[in-house]
Amino acid sequence: MTTNNRHSSSFRDPSGFIFMDQGCIKRSISPLYFKQYSALRDSGFFDKLHHAGLLIKHEEVSVSDQDIIIEPEQIPFFTYPYEWSFNQYKEAALLTLKIQKFSLENGFSLKDASAFNLTFFKGKMVFVDTLSFDFYTEGTPWRAYKQFISHFFGPLLLARYIGVESLKLMNSFIDGIPIKMLSSMLPYKTKLNPFLYSNIHLLARYEDKHNEDYQGYSKVSKLSKKAQLNIIKSLYDYIKKMTLRESSEWGNYYDKTNYVNDAFNEKASIIDGWIKKIHVKTLIDIGGNDGTFVRKITHNLEQALVCDIDNNSVDANFKSLKVNKETYILPFVFDVLNPSANIGFSNKERDSFLKRIQNFAPDVTMALAVIHHMTLSGNIPFDMSAQFFSSFSKYLIIEFPNRNDSWVQRLLNTKGEFKGHFDFYTVENFELSYTKYFSIIEKVPIKNSERQMFLLKSIHD
Amino acid sequence: MIHLLYFDPGLGAMIIQAIVAAVAGVLLFSKNLMFKVKSFLGISKRESDIFEDIDVKDSEIESKSHSSDHQQ
Repeated sequence: MTTNNRHSSSFRDPSGFIFMDQGCIKRSISPLYFKQYSALRDSGFFDKLHHAGLLIKHEEVSVSDQDIIIEPEQIPFFTYPYEWSFNQYKEAALLTLKIQKFSLENGFSLKDASAFNLTFFKGKMVFVDTLSFDFYTEGTPWRAYKQFISHFFGPLLLARYIGVESLKLMNSFIDGIPIKMLSSMLPYKTKLNPFLYSNIHLLARYEDKHNEDYQGYSKVSKLSKKAQLNIIKSLYDYIKKMTLRESSEWGNYYDKTNYVNDAFNEKASIIDGWIKKIHVKTLIDIGGNDGTFVRKITHNLEQALVCDIDNNSVDANFKSLKVNKETYILPFVFDVLNPSANIGFSNKERDSFLKRIQNFAPDVTMALAVIHHMTLSGNIPFDMSAQFFSSFSKYLIIEFPNRNDSWVQRLLNTKGEFKGHFDFYTVENFELSYTKYFSIIEKVPIKNSERQMFLLKSIHD
Repeated sequence: MIHLLYFDPGLGAMIIQAIVAAVAGVLLFSKNLMFKVKSFLGISKRESDIFEDIDVKDSEIESKSHSSDHQQ
């Protein structure tokens, strides 16, 4: 078995690693982990986790003395913690605790609690690191406790008390938010809550105190299973109840936007017609708000990525898909002016948005009510946005609001005396730039509005 | 134990868990008590939630395919 295609994100855990084999993600398990793996398999614990939908399913491909190869169910588009909305993050935290409790009940324990061990797949969070389980030794504390705080509870508390943008900190701290920093960032009143005091502030003090006199592993403390379960359960209860304080600037977007209802429906039916016509299976809706327009598509989609810069819109989408039990929609937080970069060791541990979306290669990209924000707020020239959109999918459905559109006028007015520098914002210039990368298949004005819809096809294959 | 090779769990974090667990124990106990009192008085409300319960139900383990597989 060739294992030199080791995936660049897979080096932290010596139990094994993932690699690419003919476009498929596979996992190689080292003899170091054979005992654990066999126990997990033979006791039926893997089956239980799979059936409950907690852990990504896998098939055993081969077994030898050197390695065991398994092939997990393939995930078409992987999202990272810094791309999750608040409630998605909550779901990931709760799932980790749920799995730890279930593991303890079955004689195992999670040896790590990294937020990168989960991703959003088929309408919910799923645990993807099959080798995270180890035997539970009676009377030992949870090794991954601190990691859970710095990867999950910390970011959620910061989102709650500082602002939801704090979730993006995970982009810089891929090993979790430092506990000391976390403790100093949270408001004083969190010290008055015994639960938060013990889990955050006291933890920060203990970590600080024991940082220097660390003498190997001999001084390990004891903790009964019941006590550990108390920690897990209390964290679960607390996190489950957490909410954000802020309301969305887009929350009631469709109420305050300048669409009369007819125009809204017409736009939806134009999109639906085009999606059918070009037999779309996969798409990405950039600036897709809460998924309203994707849900108006009657054509059967395999996968629809719906991203938006606003956490609350993504959260609203997440809640809708939970209520409707939709599995084909994948919502995530995304800033088109600053997509996630390649980060981590050698800049290869976590892939950039562009790399992942190019691999995913959606049949169509939808950019509705986005171009005026990119061009007038972000100052992105038409040429550059056209090139960006053409780099990952064959078709582009894009909405262009004319200069007279009230939103465009509002954005132009914020430019004050520099308004004249944006005289280039016309549909003629838009077409001129976009036809360098696309051919125009159809162009339809939306009645009773200052907007028009374009169906474009990339000319570079 | 294999995990010794992996990452530093933080000695402070290992020691402190006894305290965290004690606090959690008190909180869970009092919450439970409150719940019992409230249900006795008939004022507890079952809130509907999009998040699951912490316990894995037997039915979830036994079903051959989980419910999300056949939707779309």
